[in-house]
Amino acid sequence: MIGWMCHRENSPRRPIRWLVGLTLLVSLAQGAPPPPTPSAEYQLKAVFLYNFAQFVEWPARAFLEPTAPLIIGVLGEDPFGPYLDELVNGEKIGDRPLIVHRYKRAEEIADCHILFICRSETRDLAKIIERLKGRSLLTVGDADTFTRQGGMVRFAMENGKVRLRINVEAAKEGELTISSKILRPGTIVAPGKN
Amino acid sequence: MTMILVTSGVVLLITCAIFIGYELLTFRQAALRQIATLSEIIAAQSTGAVAFENQRDATEILSTLKAEQHIVTACIYDGKGKVFARYPADAKDESFPAAPLPDGYRFEDGHLAGFAPVIQIKGSERFGTLYIRSDMEAIYERLRLYGSLAALVIVLASVVAYSLSRIFQRQISDPILELSETAKAVSVRRDYSVRANKHGEDELGVLTDAFNHMLAEIQEQNQELERRVSERTAELEAANSELEAFGSSAAHDLRTPLRAITGFTEVLLDPRSRIPPSEVQRYIRMIREGSVQMGQLINDLLAFSRLGRQALTRHAVDLTQLCREVYQGLEHERKGRTVELDLQTLPLANGDPALLRVVLVNLISNALKYTRPRAVAVIEIGTTAGKDEDSPVYFVRDNGVGFDMDDADKLFGVFQRLHHADEYEGTGVGLATVRRIINRHGGQIWAEAKPDAGATLFFTLPS
Repeated sequence: MIGWMCHRENSPRRPIRWLVGLTLLVSLAQGAPPPPTPSAEYQLKAVFLYNFAQFVEWPARAFLEPTAPLIIGVLGEDPFGPYLDELVNGEKIGDRPLIVHRYKRAEEIADCHILFICRSETRDLAKIIERLKGRSLLTVGDADTFTRQGGMVRFAMENGKVRLRINVEAAKEGELTISSKILRPGTIVAPGKN
Repeated sequence: MTMILVTSGVVLLITCAIFIGYELLTFRQAALRQIATLSEIIAAQSTGAVAFENQRDATEILSTLKAEQHIVTACIYDGKGKVFARYPADAKDESFPAAPLPDGYRFEDGHLAGFAPVIQIKGSERFGTLYIRSDMEAIYERLRLYGSLAALVIVLASVVAYSLSRIFQRQISDPILELSETAKAVSVRRDYSVRANKHGEDELGVLTDAFNHMLAEIQEQNQELERRVSERTAELEAANSELEAFGSSAAHDLRTPLRAITGFTEVLLDPRSRIPPSEVQRYIRMIREGSVQMGQLINDLLAFSRLGRQALTRHAVDLTQLCREVYQGLEHERKGRTVELDLQTLPLANGDPALLRVVLVNLISNALKYTRPRAVAVIEIGTTAGKDEDSPVYFVRDNGVGFDMDDADKLFGVFQRLHHADEYEGTGVGLATVRRIINRHGGQIWAEAKPDAGATLFFTLPS
């Protein structure tokens, strides 16, 4: 059970083990059913979400100040569980601390920089994208039509591997600059395509 | 020429050695820098692929390393330390270290290898580690290249140095060799008129000039010596011929009185001859006269020959006073005659007083002798202008019988008499003696005369 926690061995985040263990114990003590452990797929996606922070440039107006936190948001039914929080906990990108926010509805989203839109919101996807249009917000999702509907980054499954599909036009609209290092051939999709 | 070649060779070797040495010393740093740069670039490019676990992309990025032919293997380890992408694409697991080691580069068994972090933003955690391994061929290639370049440069430079030295040899060595050849020719053939060719105005030209100058000196000296030798030879020849004449004349002139003595004594001793007593006295007188004459001749000859051996003293001599004295001393010659002496004041002479007295005695007594037929004998002694101021020409003039100028060269010969002994006595040595003395004083003596119109004897006495 501890195995999957050893994703980053040479990291200073060995405390994760303890933290999760503690959470389990606490939840056991509370009698609540333990939260579902995210699958390997979503662990990876969580890591990718975290990594985006290093490969995307936000315009200056996206942050109040140089030390303002970088916010990763999750909209809908969170598939990551506490994994994402633990991943991000105490980490910084440069001088910015990272925080995770959860939202039930798009209207709730105020300051956010990376937003993962869960599959649960697939029906309202177009509306949500429309609402978020123009904001300096990296929209990420894994619904099949995500990028076709205007999303910026789609997680696609290929041969069991998580691949990125990036809608650069959509990102440009939000004034986001995506590093060429992840804009490899095969990752870019034209608008209206997947 | 060897010197030039050796010098250039040494200079080149030192230069090449320094450069190659520097390369050897710094090649490690150069190699390290090179591979570090390459790693940084590759690692920076692969961040995206490693962060998003895109193995295909990472492999593709690593494959760009084929541009650097000396990279042997490379791989990217993921965050877990497993080989994530490899180069070459078909490299075996054994080609790579099992796990990434600390960052940095090391030389190991002929290769340079090391690790670099794959990091997107400095300070944040690495996504993985890049491993690169390169062979040293690049360095060895460079060293080999330098070596061949150095060899080529040395060969080229040697060729150039050789050709240059050949050219310089012509300018330096050839003139020197030519000089030495000339020197040899001079010493072998004893030909001092040879001169060396001058080729330029440099130091060699100076040497050639000095050499030629020396040769000219030698030639001059040689000629001077030749001249002196011929002078001496002429002198010796003259002396010899004088000696010959001396010998033959002496023999001849001594024979005459001797013949008289022998003849007369024979007659007197012959018992068969009947000579009247008055004749006997006369014969005996003739014999006596003959021996006296012989005695006189022998004395004169001795005096003449002694002249050659006497050392010449130089004093200031008052010739005027000397003339007066000599004139007084020749009283017996003047007895019963009318003689007019016109003696000018003569400048002081520098010479041997005794010898000069002999000269004057001879000249004045000659003048007295040859003016005997005259009723009034006139003798003039004075000076006349000479060729230069310092050398006055003295003269003794008489109004005597004179002589034919055709016989002038006989005048000063030993035993040469222009007049018969019956007419004028004398041994014929007088003027020869006078000439000898005058010549020894460095002067000249000559005569001018007309038959029956007197004679003038000129002589010079340089001071």
